[in-house]
Amino acid sequence: MQKTLRAKRASFSAIEEDHGYAARRLDYGPGALNEEPKRRYHILLMAPAILTLAAITIYPFFWLIYMSLHKVSVARSDRWVGLDNYARLFGDVKYTDGWLLLVKYSALCLTLEILIGVVLAVILNGSRFEKVLVTVFLMPMMMSPVVAGLVWYYLYNGTFGWYHWLFQSIGILGETSILADIDTAMWGLVIVDVWQWTPLITLITLAGLKRVPQDQLEANMVDGAGSLRNFFTVSLPNIYPFLLIAILLRFMDNFRFIDHILVLTGGGPGNATRILPVYLFDVSFQFFKLGRGAAIAFTLLIVTIVLGLILVRIFDDPKKQVASGEAGETTDD
Amino acid sequence: MVAISIENVWKYYGETVAVQDLNLECRDGEFVCVLGPSGCGKSSTMRMLAGLEHISAGQILFGDKRINELAPKDRDIAMVFENYALYPHKTVAENMANPLRMAGVDKATVTKKVLDAAKLLEIDHLLDRKPVELSGGQKQRVAIGRVIVRQPAVYLFDEPIAHLDAKLRARMRTELKHLQQHQGVTTVYVTHDQLEALSMADRIAVMHDGVLQQFGTPAEIYSNPVNTWVAGFVGEPTMNLILTEVATEADRPKLTHKGFTIDLDGQLGEAALRGNEKALRFGIRPENLKVSLERSPGAIEGTVYTRQLLGSDLLVEVETGNDHFRVRTSPAFEGEVDRPCYISYDLGHAHLFSAETGQSIV
Amino acid sequence: MASREIVQYDSGLSRVFKVLAQVFLVVYLIWTVSPFIIMVGSSMKDLLEAFTLPRVGDWLGALSFFDFSPTFKHYVALFAEENFGAYLTNSLIASVGSALVAVVLGTSCAYSMSRYQFRGKKDVFFWIISTRMAPVVAVIVPLYAIFRSFGLVGTLPGLILAYTTFNLPFAIWMLKGFFDNVPYAIEEAAQCDGATRLQATMQILPLVAPGIGAFLVLCILFAWNDFLFATIIGSGGAKTLPVATKELIQPQNVQWGKIMAAGVVTTAPMMLLGLLIRRYLVAGLTMGAVKE
Repeated sequence: MQKTLRAKRASFSAIEEDHGYAARRLDYGPGALNEEPKRRYHILLMAPAILTLAAITIYPFFWLIYMSLHKVSVARSDRWVGLDNYARLFGDVKYTDGWLLLVKYSALCLTLEILIGVVLAVILNGSRFEKVLVTVFLMPMMMSPVVAGLVWYYLYNGTFGWYHWLFQSIGILGETSILADIDTAMWGLVIVDVWQWTPLITLITLAGLKRVPQDQLEANMVDGAGSLRNFFTVSLPNIYPFLLIAILLRFMDNFRFIDHILVLTGGGPGNATRILPVYLFDVSFQFFKLGRGAAIAFTLLIVTIVLGLILVRIFDDPKKQVASGEAGETTDD
Repeated sequence: MVAISIENVWKYYGETVAVQDLNLECRDGEFVCVLGPSGCGKSSTMRMLAGLEHISAGQILFGDKRINELAPKDRDIAMVFENYALYPHKTVAENMANPLRMAGVDKATVTKKVLDAAKLLEIDHLLDRKPVELSGGQKQRVAIGRVIVRQPAVYLFDEPIAHLDAKLRARMRTELKHLQQHQGVTTVYVTHDQLEALSMADRIAVMHDGVLQQFGTPAEIYSNPVNTWVAGFVGEPTMNLILTEVATEADRPKLTHKGFTIDLDGQLGEAALRGNEKALRFGIRPENLKVSLERSPGAIEGTVYTRQLLGSDLLVEVETGNDHFRVRTSPAFEGEVDRPCYISYDLGHAHLFSAETGQSIV
Repeated sequence: MASREIVQYDSGLSRVFKVLAQVFLVVYLIWTVSPFIIMVGSSMKDLLEAFTLPRVGDWLGALSFFDFSPTFKHYVALFAEENFGAYLTNSLIASVGSALVAVVLGTSCAYSMSRYQFRGKKDVFFWIISTRMAPVVAVIVPLYAIFRSFGLVGTLPGLILAYTTFNLPFAIWMLKGFFDNVPYAIEEAAQCDGATRLQATMQILPLVAPGIGAFLVLCILFAWNDFLFATIIGSGGAKTLPVATKELIQPQNVQWGKIMAAGVVTTAPMMLLGLLIRRYLVAGLTMGAVKE
């Protein structure tokens, strides 16, 4: 493939620089271009992963759309219902409540996790026991969420759960288990999530705190700030992008993981903890209404993708320098 | 051991032109420096020579062989990279042995050649170390060792000593030059440091904005720069390039400036009139000017602006009519700042450049 | 980045803060560790001991928790009566299998993603990362339908493939970051040394090997801990430990000793692996956004 190139006169005109050093520029282009080398190598290396991923994500994604437009049943063949599945979502109180509960649940979890996580990080930062304690705090994150759910199910148990005993002893709970009461069940879930994931916020914040420029802190101290002022005026703005990422990641994980909820309450009592992903699970795999489920899943996916876009935007923002910031190799001189 | 011809080579990155219509001939065994500031296309040129970058247009020949389509391994080249590009997980010996291993040389020969090269570079005591344990200078020697273990047709050096400190750089310049002459391998050496180019090269190719400005011996480049750009880039302290107007007085051409007038005669005078240009840039190197506190006939009058000691010499900047002349003189010069002083010049060392195109008109 | 010690000037208030901080730390530590202690303790208790609680408000009585004679009968029962050996094997095969698939395919893809510039690369990348972040419950609905038609439901290959939906994008994303940090010049040097394109790529693999290893472990961890895929896609022939553990909860007779023992069996290996790759954990759990 040989193509002629239009001469780019504009870019070739002589450029006068500071000291009057005029360099000779050319005002013509090359006669013909050499054939570009084939990039087969990279395409071959990428193909297996991309194709596999496409097969298990894009294909199912179209299936999801297909299913959401049909009445899917195990016994009979699928029947086209158009947007019926979606239309019915609007009248479905459990669906709209599912969103509200999801937001409520996430808000509670995130607020507590950020508050406790940041305080913990500030205390740990530079402490003598930082290394040991951080390792200990990693333990809950390594636990399978479903096992975490089971352990806490046991701890909350109304007759022999240690945390139930603790809550009773402090006087914040009566005979009823935290999970059995409509008013407290959500808190029971939040506590487990906070227990498991606050350390992640702590770790992220610690990583951020280590990157707070020392000179800014020192300058601020010289300007007369105390440690508290220092934290709010220097440290916090610096760790803010880290926290933003933590918030988004946790928020998306609240969409992703419902394992412990399935164990602890299964959405009950009543519908008090039936956050949208749990409702989706019930519709699809308890009642096997796969078409309805697909419609719910589709709406959930769209919201996740939007959140993901925001997250990637933050990843890419060079000003925030969240990632380690190593510049890529430049090839030109 | 091969001659290199670069013929009408262009390099595009998308729409951006990195190298424009480059033509260069390196003789067999010659040491050619490609000199220019960052972004001038010198690295692109080197990478096209190495086969790391596609040649957008034109061709490159090693001897009579067109190498455009050859993979780097088939070009019989060896390259030293700016950041050394050593294999961090391999020892010094393994790093240096790598090209020989790739070529399938037997073990005993490899060991011997590596040891020889290491001895030559005085790094034989470091052979078991990993690159992280080495200083910058040592890493640089290993990188050089990696290219000299075998006898390739062409050495390519991409700013190999740019990251060393000044002292070490001076020493490596001598050693590299010696090594190259000793081995007689055709060498292309890319640098932005004009001192490196002047001191090492047989010939220098000066590039700017992707265009080859001048190709010649260091002496030619230094004493006959083809344009103001080359004149300003090569030489330290830089050449004085003062914008003047051309006038004639009784058929004799002269350059006029707010602060002085220079009468031209002979060759310079003819050249000044030939182009019919109104303005010319008067160029003269600081070492070709003399400054004195005493008035002398024809001298340019000015005041001392600054004095900077450059070791054995003194650089005096003299202000005259809003322009500054840099003069290299002996530290014995007594003129303090703001004192009137007089600059005398020898027109035999002067250059005239067109103010419009920047080209030398002599 | 080692930070210099900042001079602290003591005041009365800051001392109060310091004490409060220590108290907070201790309370937090107890709250983090207690579920583990109770899990391990209860797994080694006999039925009666496990069901003993002190009176409400009897704080000192809490110490009675540690008053038991340890027994391993629940662990024995898990493997003897509940077939946990098979579930353990399933968990191992599914998690290691999917991790291997993800890392092998991911490494080559990440390498080229890092080295090769092409139009639309950003979009491809976003697609990859979004598949990782998609809610499992949402993905599982169509995946279940598709896998059912291919007969993959209830099989280990099906489960491995399902886990690949989150492990492969994870591996690509993380490893690309790793390759980005390896200077391209090293490969170029290798090519000038006489290596082919492929040999040059191989030259830098040792440099990313620690990262590849760490992300292999993380992939194993993610897959091992999964419950949703395992319970839907793996139900039947490919029951894994988390599912088996959950199924121990029977409406009539909840055998807490056994459940806690199963919890320990499921959790302990991952805890050890987690410690092993401690250095990469934060990066792994934040999709590379934060490095320690």
